[in-house]
Amino acid sequence: MTWRKYVPQILDNLIWFILVGVILFFATQSDKFLTPVTLRNILVAASVLGLLVVGQTFVLLTGNFDLSAESTLGLAGLVGLWLIVPAGVPTRGGDVGLNPYLAIVIVLALGALIGLINGVLITVFKMNNFIVTLAMLIIVRGAILRFTEGQAVTAGESAGAETFSALGHNSLFTLPWLGRVPLSVLVVLATYAVAHVVLQHRPFGRELYAIGGNRGAALASGIDPDRRLVQVYVLSGVMAAFAGWMLAGRLGSVQQNLGEGMIFNVFAAAVIGGISLQGGRGAVIGAFGGVLLLASINAGLNLMRVSVFWIQVIQGVVILVAMFIDAQKVRFRGPVVSSAYTRGGAAASTEPMAAAD
Amino acid sequence: MDESRTVSDNVIELRGIGKSFPGVRALAGVDFTVRRGEIHALVGKNGAGKSTLMHVLTGIYPADEGEILVRGERVDPMTPARARQAGIVLVAQHAKFVPGLSIAENIFVGEWPRWRGGFVDWGQLYRKAQDRLDQVGLDLDVRRKAEGLSVAERQMVDIARALFADASVVILDEPTAPLPKHEVELLFRFVRRQRERGASFVYISHYLEEVFALADRVTIVRDGQVVGVHPVSAVTPRELIRAISGTDVERFRRTARATEGDAVLRIAGLSRPGAYEGVDLTLHAGEVVGLTGLEGCGNAALARGLFGLEPMGEGNVDLDGRLYWARQPGEALAQGVAYLPRDRHGLGIIGIRGVRENVALPILRRLSNRLGMIRGGEERRLVAGYVEALGIKTAGIDQPVELLSGGNQQKVVVAKLVATRPKVLLLDEPTQGVDVQAKVEILRIVDDLTTRGVAVGVVSDELSELLEICDRIVVFYRGRIASEFRRGESDWTHEAVLGVIEGGAVRDDVA
Repeated sequence: MTWRKYVPQILDNLIWFILVGVILFFATQSDKFLTPVTLRNILVAASVLGLLVVGQTFVLLTGNFDLSAESTLGLAGLVGLWLIVPAGVPTRGGDVGLNPYLAIVIVLALGALIGLINGVLITVFKMNNFIVTLAMLIIVRGAILRFTEGQAVTAGESAGAETFSALGHNSLFTLPWLGRVPLSVLVVLATYAVAHVVLQHRPFGRELYAIGGNRGAALASGIDPDRRLVQVYVLSGVMAAFAGWMLAGRLGSVQQNLGEGMIFNVFAAAVIGGISLQGGRGAVIGAFGGVLLLASINAGLNLMRVSVFWIQVIQGVVILVAMFIDAQKVRFRGPVVSSAYTRGGAAASTEPMAAAD
Repeated sequence: MDESRTVSDNVIELRGIGKSFPGVRALAGVDFTVRRGEIHALVGKNGAGKSTLMHVLTGIYPADEGEILVRGERVDPMTPARARQAGIVLVAQHAKFVPGLSIAENIFVGEWPRWRGGFVDWGQLYRKAQDRLDQVGLDLDVRRKAEGLSVAERQMVDIARALFADASVVILDEPTAPLPKHEVELLFRFVRRQRERGASFVYISHYLEEVFALADRVTIVRDGQVVGVHPVSAVTPRELIRAISGTDVERFRRTARATEGDAVLRIAGLSRPGAYEGVDLTLHAGEVVGLTGLEGCGNAALARGLFGLEPMGEGNVDLDGRLYWARQPGEALAQGVAYLPRDRHGLGIIGIRGVRENVALPILRRLSNRLGMIRGGEERRLVAGYVEALGIKTAGIDQPVELLSGGNQQKVVVAKLVATRPKVLLLDEPTQGVDVQAKVEILRIVDDLTTRGVAVGVVSDELSELLEICDRIVVFYRGRIASEFRRGESDWTHEAVLGVIEGGAVRDDVA
């Protein structure tokens, strides 16, 4: 019986065990996997997805969805590049040549505006969050199509473009072995650190868990759930725009399909990382584990020269396996639970399907 | 009861049932029988093993030991499918109905009579459904939509549905908790009538007066064991309480109030159309005021309105001499008015989160330092203090609240409210779904709060309880205050207050 004591803890931190297992597996399959280049690629790929996931985590914890994030990312990246391209540059752009810092502010404000619209429609007009953000996903994607008319927007060479692209491009310093450390990776790590502190140690974060756990009880405890919802949607929009800025900077040239289909990976990473789709459960650090896992699998399979078609299938299977193991947690949960099992705020306890009654 | 009956009279017989969960022995050597045409009450504290026993009987949990006999035949192992086959039916507190469908459709859900082309034969459906309801003496139009049914009517239709399915025993789990008084009587009459027709019932309830009113025999479980099986006529309420709790539960006694405190909450001419009208009411420091009346008389609506869960309406309210108004619970709490909801699961607890997070929720900002960070150590100390002071039984302050018993869940909500340091505490049916011992403990906490100057309003239709804990009782009738009673005066009796609760109409008509 003693081993049972550790089962819940292992299950709560499952994502890290899976991640280590997957990394070890790929390391045995390809000697190129545990190299600075591959690891840096994984981290870079994880940084854009990571920003989307961090924003989505706030929304998911309240028991809501933000499907529109990937379109917001696309629009933000596109508008950002379009704004900074000066006149006379032989690429398609806005010929505005806007100050890059101002462009960044506008891009983030655009994300905030989309989030605000989502939030207001959902709270003030009591519309279903899934449908509202789905509609927003389509509308914003449509706006992108209208905006680009099928053509790419490219940053080109200019001082403004350099500044704007720094987030996606530059590195601040180098580490032994790993080499240069991308700025985007550092920014994302810092973002997760801040998000963790906000969610676990500030009233705002704890209130989100309460709203997701039982909105009525949160209301009766003096929280204004509608206000918090608008705030998390704005946050999610800003984080998506942030990710769009980062991705556009890295790519230097943006197509109309920027970010398309990313939302599936966002949900996959969050759920694998232990964020409950019912709200009220999960830790943002676990979601970051989910991001790293997806990026590692992607990189590993690429190294193994697995066909892109199979990569999708395998990612889907990984999600199902993670959910299967997660569902088994219920079996270990008797009527009396050891206190070690419930570590309160930081508990990555997740049964997305467990009834909350 | 006639003790000479033979074994074959037992519709259900459980012998030596044992059930363990990791780390806890939930049931040990439990014998439990239900006879034909009997209402058998099953009583015990929250967590005593009643639910586990019923889960074993309905096949949800397999028993580790013992055997189950249905009409003398052994069923092993019991599974939910076999329980259904054997006619063991559990009627839930909130019976599941498809609200948009008619009663008839709900009764026959999934097996509607059909014409040959597969189309539903509506005529036959309604006829058959009406016949069946007539058989059990339920006077309802089967064409009505199920959403129009009251909770008690739903339960009765659900029981009827179970009886048609040739139930050997119908399990009623706390059926009366969500029911207003007059519907309880309706339900009881119906259940008694079905007993006369030979149906058997297991009746689970915390309300002991209901056990005495309804049941033939009573089985008492404590700590997973049966501590007594008696004909109801052979036990007294006091004996029953002692058997349930294992100790002599003291009756609650209100500490005598030394002096009349200052007015804390003054309500003058507060009206909300359709809810209450022209309410004048003052709550004083250290006073417990009962707000009672028939269902929908305005007492509960007033509490919800004052707390900002519903619009307050129009009128003048002041708190400690300052204008009081709340459009949202947050505003009420900020001004010093706290409310304990009757719907514990909907508005009280956050089941999946821990005790600590539940209790600290309304005061997180007070617990934060200048940088806006929650001071974790102080939070733990504070919550641990409440757990200790209120006697909340939990495996730790981070135990999810849904794993606690009903009484302890309620104490978590009380702790949360007390932590806000309210000036006025409104309690809406505070002892609903709470066992006898926890009930007394909760009343004691309330009593203790008044010694610290909190003004307490208790919304309840448990008149005997109000008479125990209140200093004053205000009776509402059709949205208006009909009368007021004071402890120590000659009309401080059950009969007098009840007279106004139900006879308020007379005064209203005269006025």
